[in-house]
Amino acid sequence: MSASLDEQTPRRRLLLGLGWVSFLVSLLGPVLANVRFLFPNVVYEGESVLKLDSVEKYLVGSITFFTDKKIVLFREKDGFRACTAVCPHLRCVISPFVGAPGSAPDILRARCPCHGSTFDGRGQVLGGPAPRGLDFFRVTKSPDGRVVVDTRKIVAPSEHFKL
Amino acid sequence: MVTESPKETGRRKAVSWLTDNRVVRSIFRRGYPDNDLDRAAVMFSNFFLHVLPARTHVHSLKPTYTWGLGIISLFLFVVLLGTGSLLMFFYVPSTGRAYSDMKDLQFVVSYGVVLRNLHRWAAHAMVAVVFLHMCRVFYTASYKAPREFNWVIGVLLWGATLMMSFTGYLLPWDQLAYWAITVGSSIASYPPLVGEHIRTLMLGGDTVGQNALIRFYVMHVIVLPGIMMILMGVHFWRIRKDGGLSRPPAPPSETARGEAAAFSPHKTYMLVELAEGRTPMVDTQAPEEEVMSWPHTVFRMLVVFVGVVAVLSAVAYFFDAPLEELANPDHPPNPAKAPWYFLGLQEIVSYSALAGGVIVPAAAIIGLMTIPYVDRNPEGQGAWFTSDQGRRITLWSILVVIPVVLVLTWLNEHYAVRILVPGASQIWVDLLNPGTILIALFAAGSLYIWRRTGSSRMGALALYSYFLTSYVIYTLIGLYFRGANWAWIWPWQATGLH
Repeated sequence: MSASLDEQTPRRRLLLGLGWVSFLVSLLGPVLANVRFLFPNVVYEGESVLKLDSVEKYLVGSITFFTDKKIVLFREKDGFRACTAVCPHLRCVISPFVGAPGSAPDILRARCPCHGSTFDGRGQVLGGPAPRGLDFFRVTKSPDGRVVVDTRKIVAPSEHFKL
Repeated sequence: MVTESPKETGRRKAVSWLTDNRVVRSIFRRGYPDNDLDRAAVMFSNFFLHVLPARTHVHSLKPTYTWGLGIISLFLFVVLLGTGSLLMFFYVPSTGRAYSDMKDLQFVVSYGVVLRNLHRWAAHAMVAVVFLHMCRVFYTASYKAPREFNWVIGVLLWGATLMMSFTGYLLPWDQLAYWAITVGSSIASYPPLVGEHIRTLMLGGDTVGQNALIRFYVMHVIVLPGIMMILMGVHFWRIRKDGGLSRPPAPPSETARGEAAAFSPHKTYMLVELAEGRTPMVDTQAPEEEVMSWPHTVFRMLVVFVGVVAVLSAVAYFFDAPLEELANPDHPPNPAKAPWYFLGLQEIVSYSALAGGVIVPAAAIIGLMTIPYVDRNPEGQGAWFTSDQGRRITLWSILVVIPVVLVLTWLNEHYAVRILVPGASQIWVDLLNPGTILIALFAAGSLYIWRRTGSSRMGALALYSYFLTSYVIYTLIGLYFRGANWAWIWPWQATGLH
């Protein structure tokens, strides 16, 4: 009855070991299920494909800042570009780009109010703690002639949507 | 025999009628404890008192030893549970209602503003007092054997207190709340590999919205208080099991038993007499150094409780808890500041999010938890700063860190990596910033002192003082010296939080 483990037969020890292993493995399932439960499969956080005004509304050389959609739309002579207005450091909304109308992208400047990261019009970090540049998004035109920005598709900062 | 006047007899009869009846006896079993036997019995027959010993060492009651910080933390927690439960009756964690519920508490609900003030100020006080308690325990070397594990529990309780405050911060759904949580949860996304998952888990999505609000609410009102109550239970239990509060080792007493008495087969033994080894209490205190916990300890606790409630009430009456305008996800306030106890981290985050969000907090928590297992010699237990040498090392450590931190801050303003090399790679920013440089300097400084004095306790004193001082300086910088775009300002130039 009270024989120690050493005195038990090897078969008993094996069965006891198997019992412990299956007990621990059986715990793993519920734990993983509970962790997985906490990750949402669907979130309702607004659209990721943003439909803006018709293409003619944006004059060449203009930079439009969409506060609610948190994107910036550049209309340059080569076409349209769009980047996020969310700072990659800690997700504050950056200030609008400043610079003379029609100036080259590398002259433009935007700052983040939270920790002072600075970006140029190509999205590159010039100063401050931001770990990477601003993301640029794919721009297209809808059948009814409006600008469409797809925030799920990241593109190179130099990629233009030509009309 | 002393004769009683009729008035005294009447008083005694009245008291006895009140305290010595069937109902009271059914609750308390014994009458008012007016002799030492009953005073001991009341401590272990009362559910709420039985965590306390029957007798308390006088050293544990010295106000200048403990400053009552542990018990003040407990009472603040009790006040927070009470006020928090009441506030829940008028608060709905929905992005559409949360802010207007706050306004109702301020202007419509009777005493709503007082309860909210009490809750907010008690929370701030608890963050501060728990931290001071940790400093007291550290500087009196109370983390040493046999109390190493209780120190670890204490570090966990400190972390849980910060998380309680942080989760509560979002609930008013004002500008301050929204952007502090946006920044705070983004810091959580910086650990490599798991960072983004941690952030998703915190927010229940990708932005601070309804999912985040309900998650923070559930953490704040159920999960974290539950965890804290369990940890506090273990924390208090361990104080008893580890031999009461720490104190200087007693001089070897003459009555100490040398040889264990021979086992006699003709005697009945209690379980405690059969147990192997000794309890932590054996030979550590003499009866003449103890007082009855009833009334000496219990009464002091009552006085502290009344003091805590009185101070909180006065503060809650004169100062209203801040509430900014409704959360606006489109427009961060400038500067956007974290709660004050995270401002030191935010200052380092403004150099590098990896340094401030991952490297420094990880180093601090791992360092705190491993200190009792690294600094193992029993030197200095129960005495502030261990010795005159320890006092000198602590003072000099504090004095040395102040100019070092200020010079590094100045260097960073003028010669940061990205000022010298615009567009420099992030690796260099993460490696060469005041946060990581300070960690390296602190490690080197404390190792040098350990080597030089030959005492791990002196190294630990230096290390803790370095961290403490730099954290206080960075908090002050974040509070008073940072303005729009996190640029350096002087306190008199501050224009408020916009």
